[in-house]
Amino acid sequence: MNGIKLSARIRPWRRGAGSDEHTLAGAYAMDALSAPDRTAFERHLAGCEDCEQEIASLREATARLAAATAVTPPPGFKERVLAAAVITRQEAPAEGGAGAPAAGNRAARTPAAPGPVSWLRWMARQGWRVRLAAAAGATVTVAVLAAAVAFGLANGSMRQQLDQAQSSSQQIAAVLTAQDAVMRTGAVFGGGTATIVMSHSRHALVFTAAGLRALPSSRGYELWLVGPAGDRPVGMLHAGSHGMTGPVIASGLRQGDRLILTAEPAGGSTRPDMPMMLDVVL
Amino acid sequence: MRASDRPEHRNPARHAQDAAPGADLAAQLGLVARGNATAFEAVYEQVGPSVLGLVRSVIRDPAQSEEVAQDVLLEVWRTAFKFDTSRGSAIAWIMTLAHRRAVDRVRSVQKESERERRTAAADIPYDEVTEAVESRLDRERVRRCLGSLTELQRESVTLAYYGGYTYGQVATLLGIPTGTVKTRMRDALIRLRDCLGVAG
Repeated sequence: MNGIKLSARIRPWRRGAGSDEHTLAGAYAMDALSAPDRTAFERHLAGCEDCEQEIASLREATARLAAATAVTPPPGFKERVLAAAVITRQEAPAEGGAGAPAAGNRAARTPAAPGPVSWLRWMARQGWRVRLAAAAGATVTVAVLAAAVAFGLANGSMRQQLDQAQSSSQQIAAVLTAQDAVMRTGAVFGGGTATIVMSHSRHALVFTAAGLRALPSSRGYELWLVGPAGDRPVGMLHAGSHGMTGPVIASGLRQGDRLILTAEPAGGSTRPDMPMMLDVVL
Repeated sequence: MRASDRPEHRNPARHAQDAAPGADLAAQLGLVARGNATAFEAVYEQVGPSVLGLVRSVIRDPAQSEEVAQDVLLEVWRTAFKFDTSRGSAIAWIMTLAHRRAVDRVRSVQKESERERRTAAADIPYDEVTEAVESRLDRERVRRCLGSLTELQRESVTLAYYGGYTYGQVATLLGIPTGTVKTRMRDALIRLRDCLGVAG
């Protein structure tokens, strides 16, 4: 790939040869250096343009070696990758316009990124409705993180909130990337769509919803797991921005459970009231 | 109102084609960098099987391999903006990420159980890897080019790249001085590069 372009650019490799260290170029291109050797060689690389070019050209060769290993991914692999991408925030490049993406810079995760909301709309148009709701969850988490950064983490409760957000996104990621993750969608009575990704191996599910009908301030949506193990409240749902709710992680999932959504007094209930706004067999 | 799997998301492969007929991987990565999930799907179609295959050739364990391959593909999604066409092809960028991740995983595990590594090293799986590689078609050329190397070069590349060993480990496994291995690795890759017609 890009063979012609590269050949014009790359100088004969022999020019870069000379130093003893340089003979490591091949091993480096194959990641065959131990960590200390790698660090030392990268120091050498920083001052050696020819080496960089040689390594780039060698990596074109190793990429071909890689392509020869292609296997048919197991069922569901692609779906898991795509679902995980949707809830994963992309890193943003440094500011500075064209040409800015500097080599190997570990870009900070700055809050300025491809606007998640417009992106969600774009996906909605593409018919990615199932993935849409999940992505909204990521937006909420990101909002909390961004707010925490804005407050400089000076505030103790903000820090706690941030910790919670982080731990919850880890739990969410664990469910979404589980081997046995399954996605379900359902229409919510009264309006809205719920999306559930569940993993029995992780004993948990992730719930998100879009477009839930607003309830009077005295009442709120509550999520429950009901089944042979009894009725367990998962928690009250807090409305997110842009009509999105969640993601909420429900742990302690057992075989035979159903997920139920009800409208309850704002403070929550001890048992689910009728009617059920959503009833999903898990 | 029983929730169920619905055919709501239309066949995604069709989207990918619609979005980018014939566009190349580099262009797709540019779109991915701007948050285009359809382009990401197209990228997946092109590189997913190779990423998984490469990671699996290094890590072996299927479950761990899938986990790492998924991480790699997500890294492509997260950091697509870092891909720079002036520094090489998109496939090389992605495969470099994949190989590095796979090797890092194997070595962090090795650190935890050095004893296990020695056991494993006693019974090198490179023949099996080569076998797997050689059994696949399109790879005729790779096979031919690997075949054009000297035995020592081929073994060095196979152990290092497909096996994820360091050159020091390769030297031990082959019973030759490290200096020789370093040189063989570089010579081998240069020959492969020229033979494969990449960048040359």
